[in-house]
Amino acid sequence: MKIKFNPLTIKKIKRFKSIKRGFFSFIIFILLIIFSCFAELFINSRALIVYYNKKIYFPTYGKMIPGRNFGLAYDFETNYRDLKNKFKEENNGNWVMLPVVPYNAYENDFKEGAYPPFPPSIKDKHYLGTDKSGRDILARLFYGFRIAIIFSFSLLLINYFIGISIGCIMGYFGGTFDIIFQRIIEIWSNIPFLYVVIIISSIIEPNIFILILIMVFFGWIGMTWVMRTMTYKEKEREYVLSAKSIGCSNVRIIFKHILPNTISIIVTYAPFSISSGIVALTSLDYLGFGLRIPTPSWGELLQQGWSNLSDYWIAGSVIIAMIFVLTLVTFIGEAVREAFDPKLHTIYE
Amino acid sequence: MKNKYYILILLIFIMIFFGCDKKKVNKLNKSEYIFEAPISTEKIPDDVVWLTNDTDPIFSSPDAKKGGILRGYIINFPNTFRTVGPDSNNSFRSYILDNQLSLINLHPNTENIIPELATHWAFDKDKKTMYFKLNKSAKWSDGMPVTAHDFAYTLEFMRSKHIVAPWYNDFYTEYIDKVIVYDDYTLAVKATRAMPDLHFFVGISPTPRHYYSKLDENFVKDYNWKIVPNTGPYNITKFKKGESVVFERKKNWWGENLRYNKNRFNVDKVIFTVIKDTNMIWEYFKKGKIDVFPLYDPEYWYKKSDIPIFQDGYAVKLCFFNDTRRSPQGFYLNQDKDIFKDQNVRYAFAYGMNVKKVIEKILRNDYYRLEHAYVGYGKYSNNKIKARRYDLDKVEYYMKKSGWKRGDDGIWVKNGLRFSVEVSYSLDSHTSRLVVFKEEALKAGIELKLDKLDGAANYKKVMEKKHDVAYWGWSTNERPSYWQVYHSDNAHKSQTNNITNTDDPELDKLINKYRNSISEKERIELSLIIQEKLHEICAYVPTFMMPFGRQGYWRWWRLPEIPATKNSETSFYLDDSAFDPFGANLGGRFWFDEKLYKDIIKKMKNGIKMDPVTIIDKTYKMDNIK
Repeated sequence: MKIKFNPLTIKKIKRFKSIKRGFFSFIIFILLIIFSCFAELFINSRALIVYYNKKIYFPTYGKMIPGRNFGLAYDFETNYRDLKNKFKEENNGNWVMLPVVPYNAYENDFKEGAYPPFPPSIKDKHYLGTDKSGRDILARLFYGFRIAIIFSFSLLLINYFIGISIGCIMGYFGGTFDIIFQRIIEIWSNIPFLYVVIIISSIIEPNIFILILIMVFFGWIGMTWVMRTMTYKEKEREYVLSAKSIGCSNVRIIFKHILPNTISIIVTYAPFSISSGIVALTSLDYLGFGLRIPTPSWGELLQQGWSNLSDYWIAGSVIIAMIFVLTLVTFIGEAVREAFDPKLHTIYE
Repeated sequence: MKNKYYILILLIFIMIFFGCDKKKVNKLNKSEYIFEAPISTEKIPDDVVWLTNDTDPIFSSPDAKKGGILRGYIINFPNTFRTVGPDSNNSFRSYILDNQLSLINLHPNTENIIPELATHWAFDKDKKTMYFKLNKSAKWSDGMPVTAHDFAYTLEFMRSKHIVAPWYNDFYTEYIDKVIVYDDYTLAVKATRAMPDLHFFVGISPTPRHYYSKLDENFVKDYNWKIVPNTGPYNITKFKKGESVVFERKKNWWGENLRYNKNRFNVDKVIFTVIKDTNMIWEYFKKGKIDVFPLYDPEYWYKKSDIPIFQDGYAVKLCFFNDTRRSPQGFYLNQDKDIFKDQNVRYAFAYGMNVKKVIEKILRNDYYRLEHAYVGYGKYSNNKIKARRYDLDKVEYYMKKSGWKRGDDGIWVKNGLRFSVEVSYSLDSHTSRLVVFKEEALKAGIELKLDKLDGAANYKKVMEKKHDVAYWGWSTNERPSYWQVYHSDNAHKSQTNNITNTDDPELDKLINKYRNSISEKERIELSLIIQEKLHEICAYVPTFMMPFGRQGYWRWWRLPEIPATKNSETSFYLDDSAFDPFGANLGGRFWFDEKLYKDIIKKMKNGIKMDPVTIIDKTYKMDNIK
């Protein structure tokens, strides 16, 4: 099946593509996300392939393989880096293929006679060094990025779903419903969000779902105002009137007719919501109210960086990573806004 | 029109300032009541032996000079200056309490009784009563003499409902029976029952009866910011809420020339400034705006202090070993949780904690393994007990013995139950240690889920016994007190200290016997047996101890030849450290060397470097550590 795009949408996409800065940012960003989805293949302590006694193992996904399986004297997870060295020494045709960064985000890599954090080293394959507990910073950055992205996308979806629905309904029906909800939202938005998050997460250690839930609890408001105004404006248009006159249901009018005409607003807001989601998670983690320790997180790295300023690579890596990702998102947002500029295309004229 | 507003505003201000003030003054003066205890008609038995102590070694330096200002810090401004009642249990309280002397104290090195407000004391044969002769020159900071009535008033005060302090209400009812006044300067304090180490309980402090008059329900509110007269060397003279508190040395303090106080309490002023963040405090110290900084953390001692002020010898690094009671830090397993009801699982847990690796790799090999919960109590410690070392074979042995198997992810499972437990803790600095424990425990097939909570929430969780494992440490008492932490009286209910829910009839019997015995010999024997029993139950996995204190200070500060006492340590604040400004038993030993100060300031200005100074004092190093 071929997806048929509205000619206007095609125009918008073309325009978006023509804005080079935004378009490339978009591609890089998508690549980053895809890359992070398969991060286990690039940054992981488990080997990609182990060839041992004429059998091939793929340890990356699936069950833990105890060391005893490869002729080591222990029952816990095989240390594949050691295994590789061992095979090399023995030289009986067995081999191990490790990922580019052979560390996961949790394990502590210590050295004899020195104490973490260790500076970046290509020899040890800690390309960005390690943190205070000897964990690889690149691994923590990357897995942290994945969590932040999942977090902000889910947050965005749920927020927008609730915000758009309520906003549209308020704008479309108006009247008492509108007034009541306006007041509710006004009261709601006066609850100090940060305090509530801090209070809740000091009582329970939130996991990613609870954290999203808490954030949604306050996050849906922003979208309602915008959608309410837009719907108010749109519902007076002739096309809504004609849809009504041929007997379309309210639901159909809202979702089929009004929503597509307000989509440009929604799309323009989206990238900025993503970046604010990332920032929110990072700051909560920084303050120690975020995800359960030791989940890899940018905020926690930032916190470590601040308390160990002389170990520049910790703060350095995470700040550069943040600037990089947030800039990407901002560029995308800018381009989207320009591509969707209603001054350039309107649907109702 | 404008003028009218001005007048109105002025009026409001006047009302705010004077209105409130007047009200308070009225309240405090509302009665002229002064407590007076009845004079006892009985006489002190003739056969009691009056004791004093003027032979123990002096622990100050004859070179000490008076003068100077010590600048310290506090993280939070206290919520109140009251030392009892709501919000009073803050870290600042010890600075106030340290200036409230008691009848007697303990020598920091010999741990013998030394005089404080009392000059002589005597024990009654009933083992319940102790007699005291007061120092007649002892005065409150407002010039009033300290009399026996002030001690009787302490009981009245501490038992009052108006102070809203149930713990004190209890203590002064359950432990202290009465204070008998024989005359203004002779008294007896009687405990409710015969007990061992009576002097720990009955050597109470006086309370200024002339100051408090009659207590009423407004006590908590009225005395929030009152500076109560005290008997110690310093008192608060100035404070700015939220910013700073100034303690000033009393001119002609009555106790200045007592044997154990000579050459101590030398600085004129001690200023505590509120600095909200540890990193900021460190920056203040580096700039010389703070005089002393705790360096007990290996990271500060080895790495962060590797900076010009230390390299150029402007500031000194001090490490003093001590020989004192060790806080039982470690993992407390909640035996009310199904998983820890099995002793084998508790053993496996203990063998799965790689304390050695944490010490070697994170703590730079300078903490020591804590062998059991009661190290450093002298004869009361059973030094034969050795903590269980990390041993994967033993973990396997005990888990298999109880019928557990390794699951797909390597974690032990049995009947759908995984060996996965939450470890509750609250301090940021513990995270880097716990992540190593976690990774190492994984090898042993134990999953630790780290549950970092805010301090108050963590305390609540553990006190309600909702934790699986608490990463916790208790403060210490003079003698091991087993009842509160391990007796079944305190198990299975919230708000008690038995956080492991230990409930063992045999242990109960031993603890009861230990509590009720007044023979020191028997208590020591029992103590050793109880510790063995606790080791066998294995509800607590000991981790580290730090048998030393470490501080950094600017070089113009001087300390006696032996810089600290046997019982000195370093906490985050100054109290009990080598720079404890007030502590009656071990504080105030340092002094300010003005000549050195001028010299060093000059050298710093001219960029003249000196040799770095690191003092390591091993006088009180424990015998059984390397």
